[in-house]
Amino acid sequence: MGTRSDGPLLAREEQQLVEGLLAGNEESVRALYARYARPIFTLGLRLLGSSEAAEELTQDVFLAAWRKAARFDPSRGRLSTWLMTIAHNLAVDRLRRETGVTRPHLVLVDEVPEMGGIDEEEPLIERDAAIRALESLSDAEKRLLGRAYFGGLTAREIAEADGIPLGTVKTRLRTALIKVRRANQDKERP
Amino acid sequence: MTCLDVRELLPELAVGVLSANQRTGVERHLQWCAGCRKEAADLGQAAATVGFALAPVPVPQGLGERVVARVRRAAGAPGTARRARTAVASIVAAMVAVASLGWGAVMAGRADRFAERAAQAERSQAEALERFQHVVYQVIPSEAVSESDMHLGQLSPVSTGTGGGFVLQLVSPTILDFSMVIVNGLDPAATELLPYRVRLVDVDGDELRAGRIDELDADGGAEVFHQFKRADLTGFTTVVVVDAIGDVVLSGTVDQSS
Repeated sequence: MGTRSDGPLLAREEQQLVEGLLAGNEESVRALYARYARPIFTLGLRLLGSSEAAEELTQDVFLAAWRKAARFDPSRGRLSTWLMTIAHNLAVDRLRRETGVTRPHLVLVDEVPEMGGIDEEEPLIERDAAIRALESLSDAEKRLLGRAYFGGLTAREIAEADGIPLGTVKTRLRTALIKVRRANQDKERP
Repeated sequence: MTCLDVRELLPELAVGVLSANQRTGVERHLQWCAGCRKEAADLGQAAATVGFALAPVPVPQGLGERVVARVRRAAGAPGTARRARTAVASIVAAMVAVASLGWGAVMAGRADRFAERAAQAERSQAEALERFQHVVYQVIPSEAVSESDMHLGQLSPVSTGTGGGFVLQLVSPTILDFSMVIVNGLDPAATELLPYRVRLVDVDGDELRAGRIDELDADGGAEVFHQFKRADLTGFTTVVVVDAIGDVVLSGTVDQSS
């Protein structure tokens, strides 16, 4: 494969990795794992609350990615966000199954994700991009996204807690997501 | 659901906080509406970005090896054939036996009853699943499949439509996955709506074709059986029956957690 381990991937490199995954190519699986296991595990730990559950989720995500690999289309989005979407959906579904509630009952976390320095020992390109994209949001928008995405609060619950109209919360949530999307689009593929 | 209704719910779909009912409704709409599907994809991409903002924690030692092993095993690495293709003929036989039980007439059109008498419907469903498992075990060695591989779901009419039905799925690590959909109570006179197509949809909106219905019997019933040579049905829990015009006429969810 010879995929680089650092720097953002080109669309064709992502495609190659996914094709390798589909074929069960060990090198491709290792390359994907090296790039994405940490954020996936981190998300699992944050949402599911235990290292065991996060570990199981991480395995399930790569297995689900293998199953869906034939349908991955790099022209429709980045590999990183595709994997993270799979991870979030699987985590939420797992919580639904285990708690038997009709909406996710996520482990309560701080309203805003930690946004530590981006010059860590092992910089994560996607994290760098995520932090920069979130910087395009106001503090209130960051809190709102965090409460929904990490806290599992519905728009109605947020509206009731804050004493503001439901429509306002929905509009703000959509606005925040669109801002993140736009900020990302500005820095799309190299 | 109109586009307006759906657009209002898409941000919550993206961040994963919609209720199961709302999510099913939205996903049903996304099956045929390209505009809303595009918006859903954009918002979903943005939400996924948020997940990357967390301060990363180290992964446990050895996890990488376990991931590699699981994917390689699933992908059919040498010596670990993914699926036993030999089971195809016997599963078809099982499905014929299931169909001959006449469950189509018994189970179809249960949407109203389900709403009115949920407990009774739940009992019928459990009973149907048990009978399904019994039939499957008659033709497939019990060591090849387990009860937890077999799942059932009910189909209900969309909006003011008629009919109903149910779905049987076998999702197994050793045998090719299959689904069987039995419908009844559709309008047999509405030949312009033929053929109906059956689709399985997962949480990300990915679709698998699960067969088509070219004709209905006098009761508006039909059975569709499909065995998946490559696809794994894990997660494909939403089932929709779409008419020739493209409208969803029946939909339901398979409970794969049982």
